Amino acid sequence: MDKSTRIYIGKKLLQFVISMIVLILVVFVVSRLAPGDPLRAYYGEAVERMSPEQLAHAEHRLGLDQSLAVQFFDWLGQVFQGDFGISFQYKRSVMDVIGDVAGNTAVLALVSFIIISLCSLALAIFCVRREGKTVDRVICKLGVMTGSVPEFFMAMIFIMVFSVILGILPQSGAVSVGGGGFLDRAVHLILPVAAISVSHIWYCTYLMRSRLSDEMSKDYVLLCMAKGLSEKQTVYRHCVRNITPSVVGIMAVFLPHLLAGAYVVEVVFSYPGMGKLAVESAQYHDYNLLMMVCIITGATVITVNIIADIIRRQMDPELKQERGQLL
Amino acid sequence: MKKKMPYVAVATLSVIILATLLADVIAPYDPGYMDLSAISTSPGKDHVLGTDTMGRDLFSAILYGGRISLVIGIAATGISTLIAILYGTIAGLAPAALDDVLMRFTEIIMSIPSILLVIFIQAAIGDATVFSIIIVIGATAWPSVAKIVRNEVKQIRNRSYVLAAKAMGGSFFYILRKHLMPGFMSTIMFMIVSNIGSAIMTEATLSFLGLGLPLDELSWGSLLSISQRAILSGAWWILLIPGTVLTVTLICIMDVGEYLRVNNKRGAVIARNGFMKRRII
Repeated sequence: MDKSTRIYIGKKLLQFVISMIVLILVVFVVSRLAPGDPLRAYYGEAVERMSPEQLAHAEHRLGLDQSLAVQFFDWLGQVFQGDFGISFQYKRSVMDVIGDVAGNTAVLALVSFIIISLCSLALAIFCVRREGKTVDRVICKLGVMTGSVPEFFMAMIFIMVFSVILGILPQSGAVSVGGGGFLDRAVHLILPVAAISVSHIWYCTYLMRSRLSDEMSKDYVLLCMAKGLSEKQTVYRHCVRNITPSVVGIMAVFLPHLLAGAYVVEVVFSYPGMGKLAVESAQYHDYNLLMMVCIITGATVITVNIIADIIRRQMDPELKQERGQLL
Repeated sequence: MKKKMPYVAVATLSVIILATLLADVIAPYDPGYMDLSAISTSPGKDHVLGTDTMGRDLFSAILYGGRISLVIGIAATGISTLIAILYGTIAGLAPAALDDVLMRFTEIIMSIPSILLVIFIQAAIGDATVFSIIIVIGATAWPSVAKIVRNEVKQIRNRSYVLAAKAMGGSFFYILRKHLMPGFMSTIMFMIVSNIGSAIMTEATLSFLGLGLPLDELSWGSLLSISQRAILSGAWWILLIPGTVLTVTLICIMDVGEYLRVNNKRGAVIARNGFMKRRII
């Protein structure tokens, strides 16, 4: 690793820390929009039975009588010590509750992510090689259409067709009652993954297709063809290789969209994951839990984006020449 | 490649908008009326599109629900566009350091998936109403547009006409309105249009998840929120009909947005060609 790379990674780490602090600050400020409710979030209905002295004591104990800035730094201190608060709904530590289901979401998102990356790259190559022909135009139209269908509607249609009418795939949960083997889990993943993939594949394909199409109009492609390479060889050996850094970038930008899709689809399939947790905690006003889901999701996206930036820089010598942004 | 005017999409959209506007005239039933003797009847003579699990006429409910869905889409996009234009212009005109900070902030906001952010803010401010949903969606949908506005403003901020206006003492809003907005409006127009679609989709998702409008406040989302149980009993129309209307609307909006986007890049060339032709004739 040369010096400029080390400096670059150092900058990125600094950027990560600052981004995380701002993310936590934003989430904290939003959570305090609750109309006088953090007390209720903490003690639930018991708030109504408290005497004024008890209320004042409780407010003092939670630090609610301090200014917002003091509250924030107290809370930030707790967070850095690994104390993320108690989930009011589950009466357990927030991190325990999330730890139970985070794995499920990770599996769902990762499988969809891999399928979408591979399929959209394949589809983009397929389309570009037939650019302007009927097949390409039909795929583009179909793509725009599937991309406009709301995820929950797509998921519901899948449930209706494959679970209710055909009855071949399970319609809810991550495992069947009493089951839990690898095959059982895999079968439960098919419909959610399909719903996410179908509704999001066009977003990636479209971006890759236009990047690849730009690449195909460059001079070196003409040169390759002129010296006798077949179109197939040119595309696979040169063009696809040249757009790989862009593909990494596209997939990093795509991650928040994927997570949003996964969260919604989880709820439709009652798949025990972060999305279902988020919706339930919103329904039960369990703010501590909801805050943590937002922070963890945001942190994942920020981390992946920074890693993607570093990978792209290593892949693409041109990016090394650029002056990085200030932060 | 110039894209043809999407006549089908525009026509379909006009029909849908007109139908929701004329809901009072067209709707055969009161959308809120629960006919307990006609629960989950399939499409037929009495009820053209059938009834839902609460005995409401689906056709009337879709017409009145569409009104709310479209209003939310348009109003929320209005708010987010306003924020985006102000934020983007300030970032574009600001010195490099402040610009970096502002842009970094939008990226952090965008790192939380928008639907999660909407759920979070809506949960924090309490029970959902049409008004609160408009505000929440409007407050979360602006970062992507703001980025484009900022890039555009950066390109035109040093043009002589902007500098001249500044030198003559034009205020921030005067320059924004007279000199900057005409420059970037055509570029962000396609995003504004597709944001209307996203806002409608966000509302539908939110209500479907049970975090948006309650069942008795009709929108396409709240109408669909009862479909989960309905399809288990085989009442497909409760899911498919409102869902299809919603999806068709979204596809049409996206199609119009796509038309604006594709034609914008070459907008200047097309305009010049058109002008030349007229002169020759």
